[in-house]
Amino acid sequence: MRSPRASAFSAAPLYPLLAKELAEIVSGRALWTMLLLVCPLVGYSFIQAVSLYSEASAAASQSPVLAASLSPLDGILVPTFGSFYVAVTLLFPFVAIRVLGQEKDTGALRLLVQLPYRSLTLISLKLVAVLAAWALVSIPALSALAIWVILGGHLALFETLNLLFGHLLYGLLVGTIAVFAAMISDGSATAAIIALAVTIGSWVLDFTLAGRSGLSAWVAQLSLTQTLRSFEQGLFSAGLVLGIAAVVFGLAALAGVWLPPGTPLRAKLIRSVPCVLMTVAALAIAAQIRKSVDTTEDRRNSFSPADQRLLATLRLPLIVTVNLSPEDPRYVDLQRNVLAKLERAMPNVSVVLAGSRRDFSDKSPDNTYGEIEYVYGNRSDISRSTSPREILPLLYALAGTEPPAPAPGGEYPGYPLVASADATLLWFLGALPLLIALGWSWSRRPSSIHASFVKGGPS
Amino acid sequence: MIVASSARDGNPAHVLRVAHLAKHYDHEAAIADVTFSVIPGEVLGIVGPNGAGKTTLLETLAGQLAADSGSVFWREEELPPPRRKEALFYLPDGIRPYPDRFAAEVLSFFASVYRRSEAEVAATIGAVGLGPALNKRVHALSKGYARRLLLALGLLTPQDVLLMDEPFDGFDLRQTRNIVEVIRNEAAKGRTFILAIHQLVDAERVCDRFILLAGGQVRGIGTLHELRAQTGFPTGSLEEVFLALT
Repeated sequence: MRSPRASAFSAAPLYPLLAKELAEIVSGRALWTMLLLVCPLVGYSFIQAVSLYSEASAAASQSPVLAASLSPLDGILVPTFGSFYVAVTLLFPFVAIRVLGQEKDTGALRLLVQLPYRSLTLISLKLVAVLAAWALVSIPALSALAIWVILGGHLALFETLNLLFGHLLYGLLVGTIAVFAAMISDGSATAAIIALAVTIGSWVLDFTLAGRSGLSAWVAQLSLTQTLRSFEQGLFSAGLVLGIAAVVFGLAALAGVWLPPGTPLRAKLIRSVPCVLMTVAALAIAAQIRKSVDTTEDRRNSFSPADQRLLATLRLPLIVTVNLSPEDPRYVDLQRNVLAKLERAMPNVSVVLAGSRRDFSDKSPDNTYGEIEYVYGNRSDISRSTSPREILPLLYALAGTEPPAPAPGGEYPGYPLVASADATLLWFLGALPLLIALGWSWSRRPSSIHASFVKGGPS
Repeated sequence: MIVASSARDGNPAHVLRVAHLAKHYDHEAAIADVTFSVIPGEVLGIVGPNGAGKTTLLETLAGQLAADSGSVFWREEELPPPRRKEALFYLPDGIRPYPDRFAAEVLSFFASVYRRSEAEVAATIGAVGLGPALNKRVHALSKGYARRLLLALGLLTPQDVLLMDEPFDGFDLRQTRNIVEVIRNEAAKGRTFILAIHQLVDAERVCDRFILLAGGQVRGIGTLHELRAQTGFPTGSLEEVFLALT
């Protein structure tokens, strides 16, 4: 006689569940509809990006300095994937919700939860299906990269992979939010409203609070869009990746807690508390991790290698007091060109923004506004420059060390390219949608399983 | 409270024992103090009109609905709700799992999860008469075939006790008789069935014992013979017995 055995649950094969999840998401119309919509969106962005890049390249043909500023990351990759980001923000929640919402709506979930799998296993494999769906909907954007190379364009491996990884994390984040929304809501429609409220709300938050200071700046940091910024700038930030992973795992764990039916609401809430606390703790740890890697070929996020090595040896605390308001363009320049790089290069840097307390109603002249004070050890100096060419020597002087000798060569050459991508409109509006339609049709082909059952049956 | 048989409580021969199960919605009792037990190979019918609490009883039993009180024992070992799926499998009424997939694919999924051989799957398909619908999508299945698919999924599961809500809904007389035969054959192999049925005629055809449920209260438990004895209708049908007890 059989008996309930927990061991039977851990021994259940994962492959059928994974295959079912993948087949479920592929059999849904949402995925294919999104794919079809992404084609013209990405195609138009790519063609526009190539056109603008070509114009700039034509202007740079006589000027090596101008040519050096032409990076495919900024000119092609970010704009092309920018439209993909819009599609993921607005449409991907509908695709991801299906992995759970459909089963809730049809009652299949009531059978699924009785299968010999743990809740977390069920949720994890659903997220794998979400990732697979993201990979499918990224095909138009990936094809744009291939076309760029065919046109003779340059792609730097690491910065391209870094950007793709950022978009993958963003897609996973949006997908996990959508799955969690499907978990806690009573139907797919409600789940879509919740998921879009988060993604679109976060998008709106990002541009309405851009450039603000204080609480507004802190709130803007919570925007999902912020997760892509570093990757678009060519930075691989360990803290950011850990933070996104913490949110994804936290939401997956919460979905696992909320999945089993028959658990009273109170018990679910109590079990959710440790998940939330652990996620918050992981986010707090992630916020403290400053380690990041500049993946760009033009090293825009770091100083020269010699400067980087020397700055890393300056162990005393560096305190930078900036007498600028955060909205001031000079502060933005200083932050991008100097402060952010210093924070990544030196082990102990503190930045104090004194200008944010400036009273603009005060008519008296403020001679200190615009000054940036650098204190290293017991020595200090003041500058108004926002350029590393002036600030780095100042810092080396404060540290009592000689600046490194400039290394010959190694300058970023830039990759100008005059090309037209207009013909690729045929790919994005014709061939690719046709291939997608064929793929859709293929995914709906009749099953061949029937024959094997009949063959395996008793004669 | 009516107990099937006090002598049966604590009897290790019982595959499943339910003690004092209760569930309220707001201040209204959906089921109240339900106690019964089943033995291996038995077909137990939970019988009652719509709204009697049959589905609530099955869902609380399966652990898909939180009970307010009561316990479920599997071979005298208490089985908390999260572990119920180790011993019980519940087929709800009115669901169409995976409507965009072919019936064969849904069967294949369950068969793969439980490592069933192709021969076992083919035998199950043959038993429930699902063959003609295998290459149809679930949403395109008639009500009867959708019900057969669910039954086939249930038969592919290895749990000792199969709970089914309205298993004959959507079947005509001939189909019902076929499915009754399938259930009886499975029960003869030692599997236990607990069926919620509102059609008393169907229940009488398939069940060994009955729980008569009305207004969430158990009004009678026993074989038809025992229930007849309780009501004093020595030749009465289940319908007559039910009307007398409720």
